[in-house]
Amino acid sequence: MASSTFLFCDSIYDERMRWFRDIILASNGTGTSAEPVDIRIFLTGDALFSLVDARTRPAWNAVSAIPSVQVIADADELQLQGLYDPVVSGCSHVLISGADHGGLFWERLVAALKDEWTGTKSAAFLLCNSPYMSRVPVYMLRFLSGVRSAGLSPELYTYLDGVHTLHDGQRPSEFENIGRGVAALADSAALAGRDAWFAACSRCATARGYYQMNPGTGFCEPASCIQGITIRPLKEILARFSGDHPIISHGGGMTVHGKGAGARIPHLAVFITYPPYCTEWAFGGLSLAIAAAMGGIRTTVVFIEDGVYALHGTHQVPGNDKIFNIQEMIAVTTDVEGLSYAVHVPSLAERGIGISGDLSLVREVTNDELARIMFRPGLEGTTPAMRIIFF
Amino acid sequence: MSDVMDKHEPRDFTELTCTNLMIKLKILLSKLPTGNQVAFFATREQVDNTCAPFSGQGYQVSWKQEAENRYLVRIGK
Repeated sequence: MASSTFLFCDSIYDERMRWFRDIILASNGTGTSAEPVDIRIFLTGDALFSLVDARTRPAWNAVSAIPSVQVIADADELQLQGLYDPVVSGCSHVLISGADHGGLFWERLVAALKDEWTGTKSAAFLLCNSPYMSRVPVYMLRFLSGVRSAGLSPELYTYLDGVHTLHDGQRPSEFENIGRGVAALADSAALAGRDAWFAACSRCATARGYYQMNPGTGFCEPASCIQGITIRPLKEILARFSGDHPIISHGGGMTVHGKGAGARIPHLAVFITYPPYCTEWAFGGLSLAIAAAMGGIRTTVVFIEDGVYALHGTHQVPGNDKIFNIQEMIAVTTDVEGLSYAVHVPSLAERGIGISGDLSLVREVTNDELARIMFRPGLEGTTPAMRIIFF
Repeated sequence: MSDVMDKHEPRDFTELTCTNLMIKLKILLSKLPTGNQVAFFATREQVDNTCAPFSGQGYQVSWKQEAENRYLVRIGK
């Protein structure tokens, strides 16, 4: 039987809630699978507001009432955000997890992943958000502490603004010290005989000044970096994605068939949800997806929500600008083996836009087809696991 | 064969990842008229992993060491 685990830390607006509800319903009885998929959805951070928001609450109630679906809310964060009472009284099917509620949220998540990925020796967090501006690094520490407590080796892959975790000398006056937390985690894992594998993407670290060229040698060296995180090429980090262990991030999930990844390399689905240029999310997601495919991981890029703007119109980079033309990136990589592109039709329809004629190789997908991408029903033991990451 | 990419001086691609350099080159070469070439600076790793494989795709690839871990690469069509 297939099972999926999702973690959402960021806001879930009504558009995402609608298509997510529809694919959950599609995976549980409308033809994509002979039997329902066991789905566990863990909510923390800003995602918790969607449980009480009138625009999204009905969909959560519909989803959480499905017998094969469990929605688990982080009790500590509910209390922090003043949501505890409304969720207890208004969301009868939502399971609340905390110290006084059947075990800590993060330990429950680790236990779920350990159960799905039978025999795994490690579990990883892909961190794309910077400390202090975002609370996601705090969740990363809680998750990886739970990983260590469960007897697994913690792995951390920092990417995009997540590489700011590297910065030496962090001294937040009001927040948990993320740099110190990572160093302590690496030390305690080593003491327990479980080596931590903590890495930062070299492209992202170079851009942010943590990996500087030594003019004497012509090679880059770490600058102002904490111990415990090694700067590595993205392809080395992505090589870990071929392994038989769970990887979570601020938004996304995994589907396994039977227990664990099995003999085949897990597939990857990258969901591009942001517009193309004003943040690094779209480029970062696309860059990671292409590199993964070139590293032998079968990868599907799905443009969805505001991510569909990457495909609309004809983009032209001004001569004095230094930025990748996202449409050109897509056009020249449609021949990369194991890489495919898809666009979510309801997202296009909602915005009243179409895709550029030059991008005809981007496949249009409905919610049912999206459900098949995410849950890929198939024979137990022969269908590869699927990793899903939202950018 | 003439350089069309940069009429003044070759661009520095040494800080691109191998994947992003591959994408950049595919974009540049797709716009390159036959008989012309692109010239740029790359690292040894980029030369080996990304630039050299273009010779198997019908392009003429050459490089010259300019400094420690810095090569001037030319790819012609």
